[in-house]
Amino acid sequence: MALTAKSKFEDQYVDPVGKSVPRIEGRGIVTGQLKYVFDVSFPNMLVGKMLRSHHAHARILSIDTSKAEALPGVKAVVTARDTHQIKFGSNEYFFPHTVDQMALEADKVRYIGDEIAAVAAVDEETADQALRLIDVKYEILPGVFEIEEAIKPGAPQIHESLNNIAVILPVNFGNPERVMKEADYVREDKFWCPVAHPAPMEPHVCVGQWETFTNKITLWSSSQAPFKCREALAKTLKMDLNDVRVIKMAVGGGFGGKLEMLPMDFAACLLSKKAGGLPVKICLTREEEFTTTRRKHGMIYKIKTGVKKDGTILAITGEVLADGGAYCSYGPTVLAAAIMRIFMVYKIQHFRMSGYRVYTNNPVSGAMRGFGGVQSGFAIESHMDMIAQDLGMDPIEFRLKNITTPNMVTVNKMVLTTNGLRDCIERAAVACGWKDKHGKMKHLKKGIGIGIAADVMGSKMYKSHESAGAIVKVEEDGSVYLFTGAADTGQGSNTALSQIAAHELGVSFSRIKCKAGDTEITPFDTGSFASRVTFISGNAALLGGRDAKMQILEIVAKDNNLNMEELDIKAEKVIFKKDGRKLMSFDKALELCYSFKYGKQIIGRGSYNPKTTPIDFRTGEGNVSGSYGFEAQIAQVQVDTDTGHVKVLELWDAHDIGKAINPQSVEAQIEGSLAMGIGYTFYEDLRFKNGRVLNANFAGYRVPRSIGIPKINSILIETDDPEGPFGAKGMGEASLLPTSAAIANAVEDAIGVRIKELPITPEKIIKALKEKASQKI
Amino acid sequence: MNVNLTINKKQYSLDLKGHETLLEVLRDRLSLTGTKTACQETECGTCTVIINGKAVLSCITLAVNVQGDDITTIEGLADGDVLHPVQQAFVDCGSVQCGFCIPGMIMSSVALLEKNPEPTQEQIEYALDGNICRCAGYPKIFEAVREAGKKMKNKNGPDR
Repeated sequence: MALTAKSKFEDQYVDPVGKSVPRIEGRGIVTGQLKYVFDVSFPNMLVGKMLRSHHAHARILSIDTSKAEALPGVKAVVTARDTHQIKFGSNEYFFPHTVDQMALEADKVRYIGDEIAAVAAVDEETADQALRLIDVKYEILPGVFEIEEAIKPGAPQIHESLNNIAVILPVNFGNPERVMKEADYVREDKFWCPVAHPAPMEPHVCVGQWETFTNKITLWSSSQAPFKCREALAKTLKMDLNDVRVIKMAVGGGFGGKLEMLPMDFAACLLSKKAGGLPVKICLTREEEFTTTRRKHGMIYKIKTGVKKDGTILAITGEVLADGGAYCSYGPTVLAAAIMRIFMVYKIQHFRMSGYRVYTNNPVSGAMRGFGGVQSGFAIESHMDMIAQDLGMDPIEFRLKNITTPNMVTVNKMVLTTNGLRDCIERAAVACGWKDKHGKMKHLKKGIGIGIAADVMGSKMYKSHESAGAIVKVEEDGSVYLFTGAADTGQGSNTALSQIAAHELGVSFSRIKCKAGDTEITPFDTGSFASRVTFISGNAALLGGRDAKMQILEIVAKDNNLNMEELDIKAEKVIFKKDGRKLMSFDKALELCYSFKYGKQIIGRGSYNPKTTPIDFRTGEGNVSGSYGFEAQIAQVQVDTDTGHVKVLELWDAHDIGKAINPQSVEAQIEGSLAMGIGYTFYEDLRFKNGRVLNANFAGYRVPRSIGIPKINSILIETDDPEGPFGAKGMGEASLLPTSAAIANAVEDAIGVRIKELPITPEKIIKALKEKASQKI
Repeated sequence: MNVNLTINKKQYSLDLKGHETLLEVLRDRLSLTGTKTACQETECGTCTVIINGKAVLSCITLAVNVQGDDITTIEGLADGDVLHPVQQAFVDCGSVQCGFCIPGMIMSSVALLEKNPEPTQEQIEYALDGNICRCAGYPKIFEAVREAGKKMKNKNGPDR
């Protein structure tokens, strides 16, 4: 065969970057063959169950497990006595004192659902029966459930912190009090952002196995962050990191809820140890999922802004109170994100806002898609619209006057490089026909409203680095294995990272097989959160592909007495850089690498750590992300003033995504975010009474369904980020941030009433209309 | 008790307890884990299978009550290596995200399209309203249903 002979791949080569390549898992998903932890079963596998507190706040006086242990079929029962009683938390690095939860509580329970013990039995019925046989004696303590009650002196103390305030975040820049006095107009508002729940379709599920002879643990997990999970397991079980293996399988949705190790993960491993190494599977019920995993923080968001007559923002002050529930989880950083996102969006020099992360005896608040930004997005974007209205300015004109620009440093030292925010606003406005619609459809009870947002891609909240790694192994037969620590939870990262690696290596996408999220096999990665995977893990995949390519070119150059700098691999061919002339096919090059003469294994490696600085939480300063994504969203609604029903007619989302690696997946993220945003705006509201969740099922807690999803127009703005892989930015969360405000602003435009407490229900609309009518009289 | 079931054209004779649901039989007894569940209380549609042409929730269907019925699960849709048009459309249109709801979503879509390969947008929304997709990828799911309908209409015969 001649050196220039074509391979089958060469004829069919399509550059995968920028193409809507179908998801790698697609055929597995549609045939039911893709395996989730939910589907996993091992011989002699036991069923594990958690014993949970029925009291919101109580001291544990005694736990008697003897009857449960005596029940035939019960293989293990564990309580705090069997543990090292080591606490875990998720903001360990920045807020060490917020590490406050034990996998099995020893002395005290702090919410309804708090874990006290766990059992493993041969079947579910036996496990349930065993739970009923565990006798726990409590001294019931008074509970506190409202943020503003919890911070009063004398309120029941949940942890050691004064007035139940776990963390105070003061963020201060400039002199807002002085500047506010110079303002032509000052407006102050207070908003309520309710509690939502990630509610992934696959509930939290794990299988834990403790190999008792080798003293190694394996956890098959539905985790968004397997390496974080490994760390927490090792710490709480007092194991060496390398004796703990977390294997992420297909994940049936996470949305932030599966970022952390939960007590069930810990318990599955410990039960397995006590049961002599038999695997233990714990799968939460839907009710447990809603009541005992992490929920979105309910927030009271107070904001005050001073502006000049021409609409220039001079100063902002405010206060954010977050209902943290019983433990801290990711709370402090969620709170920080809720306060500091504004700097990416608006040019502000004078700012003072304090955040309070408050303990209550409610379930634990943690991360959920948007990470504080959904709450702040609703508050800030509603507030800005009201200011524009008060000034008689068009809301878009007002925003364009105050938004951040490319290549600027914000007051808190965030470095914004590419910034398509202006483009996003203008393109969305044109697409929706803003000029002809805003303020002009009231006679039809129709309105249009805008919200804007920005987001990070990575957050540097894991220790001091946020690196990702990749290994690109090219086999003798031309197949390429990409090993990444990134955790695909359904967003399509395995596919996108494979597209990136394939492009950089210069080969067809179909050659790539992706192995992801196994802590013993794949390189380290902090996980799927903060819209970081395409940007950070994507850069690692790119570098891995490049390294593998260089190794191949080295051999080719040597064999042809050429300088490897002259060569490149593009579209399945080794080519001369200067004129693109083909030297040989990729397959031929590989034949050479794996020949008798060279015998060279091709194993590329990539490591990427974004050039950022962590936030100093004492000041609020820091450049948390290697780049920033931006977007503008416009909602058009119609309100039925008889019933109070709001119908979202159409949505426009213009999004600076840098470069769409896979446009179809990008659109799917936008569409899903917007639909989720509609849910948060109108009905997603986890309700509580004395710490008990009142709507812990899909009948009571409504999530978006097929009816009620409007037409969604995605406008992808490609700003070609210099730091992103092929210009790409992350984008999984930003679209959710401004939706509620865009809708609330559209409602205001339609019928002249303002809803400041989500969700926007028909009752609130009718009440507001009545109040408005009575004011006129 | 002895129960005879016809699942994906195969006969099964099983010794079951009276309270066992079809979902439990599929997943736990027959390892047909393609059928998922997210609530086990009829609210999410994830466990949808097709029984005698109708989309049915397997989580509240007692196995003893569907003896002799024609039961199809997600595993029974493809013809060898060839995906059912609805399955293929879900892949092509990028309608899958985390994928956990998709087997149920596909079964509801197949049941709809077998009866009506040219559904209106409203008919699609109503047919799928019992199936929750938490990734909320509804627009691309609607697109797949429309695309698959076109292919199914063009094929002769009522089955495909």
